[in-house]
Amino acid sequence: MSVVGTLEGASSKPSAAGSIRRRLGPRLYGVLLIAAILLFWEVSSRLGWIVSAYWPPVTKILWAAISQLGGGDILVSLAATLRRALTGYAIGSVLGIALGILLGKSKVLRIALLPLIEIVRPIPTPAVIPPLILFLGVDDALKIFAISLATFFPVFTNTFAGVATVDDTLIQTARTFRTSWARTLLRVVLPATLPAIAAGLRTATSLALVVAVVSEMVAGSSGIGYYLVEMQYALRPDLMYAAVMYLAITGYAVNRLFLVLEARLIPWMGKT
Amino acid sequence: MSQRSEVYRTSLLGLLSPAIVLSVWESAGALGWINPILLPRPSQIVWSLVELVADGAVFPPLLYTIALFVVGYAIASILGIAIGVAMATSETLYGLLEPLVEILRPIPKSALVPVLFLFLGIGKTTMITVVVLAAVFPVLISTFQGVRGLDPVLLETARTFQVSRMRTIFSIILPASLPMILAGMRVALGLGLVLVILAEMLAGEDGIGFRILDLQRAFQIREMFAWIFVLVALGGGLMMLFDLIERTLVPWRGKT
Repeated sequence: MSVVGTLEGASSKPSAAGSIRRRLGPRLYGVLLIAAILLFWEVSSRLGWIVSAYWPPVTKILWAAISQLGGGDILVSLAATLRRALTGYAIGSVLGIALGILLGKSKVLRIALLPLIEIVRPIPTPAVIPPLILFLGVDDALKIFAISLATFFPVFTNTFAGVATVDDTLIQTARTFRTSWARTLLRVVLPATLPAIAAGLRTATSLALVVAVVSEMVAGSSGIGYYLVEMQYALRPDLMYAAVMYLAITGYAVNRLFLVLEARLIPWMGKT
Repeated sequence: MSQRSEVYRTSLLGLLSPAIVLSVWESAGALGWINPILLPRPSQIVWSLVELVADGAVFPPLLYTIALFVVGYAIASILGIAIGVAMATSETLYGLLEPLVEILRPIPKSALVPVLFLFLGIGKTTMITVVVLAAVFPVLISTFQGVRGLDPVLLETARTFQVSRMRTIFSIILPASLPMILAGMRVALGLGLVLVILAEMLAGEDGIGFRILDLQRAFQIREMFAWIFVLVALGGGLMMLFDLIERTLVPWRGKT
């Protein structure tokens, strides 16, 4: 499940301090490429090569983004989105880990619940939003539920698969010492499954953000997803691009934060 | 994996809990415990579904969504594999493209849907672009990781025998990294489907996503659930097809 890894993480090169210079060398062209694209964007808009109200110059977008820092709608919306994403993520993850471990260890629960989970799993998230509106309204309950549901599956699947690979000797040892069932789960199975859980949690972080935006678009009254659609109708592309920019920065920051936390909290990650 | 197949081996037991849930739902509906307007009984939903299939009304939107998805997914897969291999095999291309990929990748692709509507207008091109954007990055990244993770001996052997660059890519690199490529394509499959449904909901002219939201707004709940069922069947069907293709192409997968 290393599908969501980073590009550099996979680099087979040694990332010692001496190679930083060597790595930045080729990347210089990449940075130049981005600069060239942005410059072309700016010039094409300023000189009217692309005559469209939806093609604002980069500087105008940047200006819109910076002027939002003084307390604009985008940051307020983003905060609302993040709050929902985080709440839903927490609920979905806790349920995913708990059920993943329980189902991994108990045959009765597996028979009772696994078929139900497998039935619900392939439903694309946007599809559950319209029926949920009928029951939960269009407020936070709906969005948090949708986010929890979307984050539950990768966390559950990874945890469940992870539990299956826990070395049986560990569990036998715990049994030898007459460790209670609950304690074995918490102190033996959970730590051994953590790397797998972390992989699921990481997939879930990006999903949480995506689904938060999706739910706000389909059934919105606030949040960055709603804001984007609103700006689309208001024909304010500069603000729209600025909002996308903030979202991208958020997504990037969340991913980085996760990697740092992962390295700190699970030092035995990837050392099987 | 073994635990999952264990449940299916005892398939009658596996059917037990869905059967219980369905019958509780059905009888609760029949006894009037749940509001039939908000949550119709399973039998009513099945009936709507049968009607939908019988008069053929299901096919135009279904085929519409499938067409948009398949075209976008195919483009995304080819692009993702091509760029992934290029970046993994050439230091220059890696340096050139890596910063750009790293900037575009963390953008939640759903946020780009309204942007694309403004930019490309509302229509098939936009929908396909949405799918491509959503699906290309998982394919690209796992292809890259797959190729970078290849045994160097393979490539050195090819070099020893002076195999040409193109041939090395097509006969050695691609087959050897196929399991990773397929893992990325599996993630892309789910993401692409989510995004095409979302795009259809936000500004569709047709398609399953458009139908579901439209029926919900028209308060035709029974029909809405029937369409959701169609969508689930589509998602499940695509996944099964994918599993089948994967098992055919990579029979050794998961047997390490």
